[in-house]
Amino acid sequence: MSIQVKNINKRFGDFVALDNVSLDFPTGELTALLGPSGCGKTTLLRVIAGLEFADSGNVLLEGEDASDTHVRERNVGFVFQHYALFRHMNVFDNVAYGLRMKPRKTRPAETEIKRKVHDLLNLVQLDWLADRFPSQLSGGQRQRIALARALAVEPRVLLLDEPFGALDAKVRKELRQWLRRLHDELHVTSIFVTHDQEEALEVSDRVVLMNHGKVEQIGTAQQVVETPATPFVSEFLDLRDHGPEWLIAAKLRHRGFELKQATTDRSAA
Amino acid sequence: MSGATATLAGHGGSVSSRYEDSSATREPTWVKWTLVTISLSFFSFFLLLPLFAVFTEALRKGWDVYWAALVEPDALSAIKLTLIAAAIAVPLNLVFGVAAAWSISKFQFPGKQFLITLIDLPFSVSPVVAGLIYVLIFGRQGWIGGWLMDHDIKILFAIPGIVLATTFVTFPFIARELIPLMEAQGKEEEEASIVLGATGLQTFWHVTLPNIKWGLIYGVILCNARAMGEFGAVSVVSGHIRGETNTMPLHVEILYNEYQFAAAFAVASLLALLALLTLAVKTFVEWQAGKSNNQSDKEE
Amino acid sequence: MKSTFTRALISLSLIAGLVASASAQTSLLNVSYDPTRELYQEFNPAFAKYWKAKTGEDVAFKASHGGSGKQARAVIDGLEADVVTLALGGDIDAIADKGLIAPDWQKRLPHNAAPYSSTIVFLVRKGNPKGIKDWGDLIKPGVEIITPNPKTSGGARWNYLAAWGYAKQLKGGTDATAQEFVKKLFANVKVLDSGARGSTTTFVERGIGDVLLAWENEAYLSVKELGPDKFEIVTPSLSILAEPSVSVVDKVVDKKGTRKVATAYLEYLYTPEGQDIAGRNYYRPTDKKVAAKYASQLGKVNLITIENFGGWANVAKVHFSDGGTFDQIYANK
Repeated sequence: MSIQVKNINKRFGDFVALDNVSLDFPTGELTALLGPSGCGKTTLLRVIAGLEFADSGNVLLEGEDASDTHVRERNVGFVFQHYALFRHMNVFDNVAYGLRMKPRKTRPAETEIKRKVHDLLNLVQLDWLADRFPSQLSGGQRQRIALARALAVEPRVLLLDEPFGALDAKVRKELRQWLRRLHDELHVTSIFVTHDQEEALEVSDRVVLMNHGKVEQIGTAQQVVETPATPFVSEFLDLRDHGPEWLIAAKLRHRGFELKQATTDRSAA
Repeated sequence: MSGATATLAGHGGSVSSRYEDSSATREPTWVKWTLVTISLSFFSFFLLLPLFAVFTEALRKGWDVYWAALVEPDALSAIKLTLIAAAIAVPLNLVFGVAAAWSISKFQFPGKQFLITLIDLPFSVSPVVAGLIYVLIFGRQGWIGGWLMDHDIKILFAIPGIVLATTFVTFPFIARELIPLMEAQGKEEEEASIVLGATGLQTFWHVTLPNIKWGLIYGVILCNARAMGEFGAVSVVSGHIRGETNTMPLHVEILYNEYQFAAAFAVASLLALLALLTLAVKTFVEWQAGKSNNQSDKEE
Repeated sequence: MKSTFTRALISLSLIAGLVASASAQTSLLNVSYDPTRELYQEFNPAFAKYWKAKTGEDVAFKASHGGSGKQARAVIDGLEADVVTLALGGDIDAIADKGLIAPDWQKRLPHNAAPYSSTIVFLVRKGNPKGIKDWGDLIKPGVEIITPNPKTSGGARWNYLAAWGYAKQLKGGTDATAQEFVKKLFANVKVLDSGARGSTTTFVERGIGDVLLAWENEAYLSVKELGPDKFEIVTPSLSILAEPSVSVVDKVVDKKGTRKVATAYLEYLYTPEGQDIAGRNYYRPTDKKVAAKYASQLGKVNLITIENFGGWANVAKVHFSDGGTFDQIYANK
């Protein structure tokens, strides 16, 4: 399902979080919202989810104006930075939560819920943890459970707020490759917020670079690396400090890009 | 997270052992034991001794007298009234306490500081003054007392007044217990619940309530203990009508003043038992909360 | 959680039921002062029996006791007393001032509406170690006195006035010497409780002080309850006739429809039976015959009366108002 935001403005007191932002997120793509902290990327994500309301502008889900739709009815999946798992429920109950809270008419039978939860736990490869409590899981496991929980209600879009932010470097790398593969499998329209350019370039189909509440550049990983639109983009992508080997070896191998020598030369210059 | 439960289980093991593990904060042994001895003997002297005295006095004339003092009609009436006052004041404060804690910790609104001050007011105001406030409002000479008299509505010197006074002095207990807990927990879990399609009520019932459960129980216990033990405010609004508006603490005083020492201490021992029971439940709750707290500590 | 809530609801509805069932039957609320507990505990059933025999009606009693001034205040604030039986007329005047009792209440019953009287005596420890015989001994250095606060306690006002009266009738006594005497006396006061019963407890239970200035009936009751081996009663050469007064509260009895039984209740205090009960409880009956019966029980004492001081209204103004003589004495202590 496609997501469009049109002329979104949002202020917190004197602070301008979003300054007339308009974006298109095509169906089935995995988009990264990339930028330094305070650039408005998380606010934008929360506006799309319906957890915040914009001062002006519209959010369109599948072409329909959803600006005034309550978060409950938007049918989005949201993965929080700190997972926000229900700490008093075990893994199974966490994943089943969204299904069990449905109105009686649309609520699946308990056997159906059980089957579905186990499918999802298999999908995130954690079926064997069904009886554990969140406190007994590692960070990476918790994030995968949070994802499974978000997917349980079959959301039309998946929104992830710094999904790997709280994990250590090694787990992060594993998990983001896993997320990419999962997305390739499910093809649900997804947006994830990150301040880590490596993560954004490696995982996403498209990158949206933001700064001070404004969109600086939109493009594929290749486009933004090869032709940064603004000085901010080239600076933020940090092309100078990290040479071509870093980019080639670590960032882009996974996506199968070839970097032109010129890019590196120019940014190094 | 650890901040959240600090009020609840801060005196558990984890913090203190952290101090002792570190050589920087470790004190010499003699300091440790001197402090421990001082505090233990201080509290035994001031708390355990009186407790012991209450039970000795109560049973001085034997079990028969003890029992007779408790089943005497005025005593029964006092016990009943005390239970009634607590049974109304505690649920009221449960509802208002949760509502107040919720609005303070989860919303921004004008007058928030004012509300926090209001909640603390009963802690800072003498209970006697609290009682007099109700006399000023509901007394015959008070603001609406005349109207109440004309319509034969009894508040002061009747059960409603006692319930009101009790509710007033116990108001902070639950709210105060919950506010730091709910503030520290933030609202991510509630947001997660809403995004998953749960209604506000479902979210409160399935997510918020379980998270604040131990703090809530703890607050209820303290609130109840105070509700049953309150003397000052209730004394002012009671009118001291025997068998009708005397609560247990008031009844104890009356018996004592009537030279019925064994009976006075018998009723007092009931209050003391209640205190002990409260203590036991409190320890259990802290232990339980400490357990779940340790689990969440491990996450971080 | 759910079951707890259900249980709470059930208990609430139970309570509502209990409260509802509590009212029925005619009942009289007697708001009285501290030391009359035992008196009315005996008097109430006697009257109930009499009333049942006379009218066939059952009557139940409720009692409230406390410092006389405090009790008057509670009635003023709305405590629905059918009758008040307080330590002094001044407290009933205070209620009458607010329009709850007819201004001529003192004329409605014999003896200025005081069915029994009492006086002020000294309670000392066994053997009277400080050798206290009369008021003059109280102002000696090192004598520790226990009395309630005249600002809050009716009994304490009688204490104060008795001391004053004693000093004034001495040779060369004037108001000035009396004030000086009372000042010295209060300088020796160790603990100032708010009510008579509190003072008794301080002296008897907590063992503080050498002498308690007490209601005569209170002193005799203490000795009886707590053993003649511990305390002695000293009757001073002169004391004051303390007249605890009684009245129906007109506003309340008219509203509740209890005037008839409330009036009969107070009148019954004047009958030989009522007087006898008062005597048994160490009050001085006003009925001459009954008084004679109990004369040997109580010490002989010369009594001055409130009229020597110009009546309660005057006493209240001169001595116990804010800034009155008591304030002057106690503030400069």
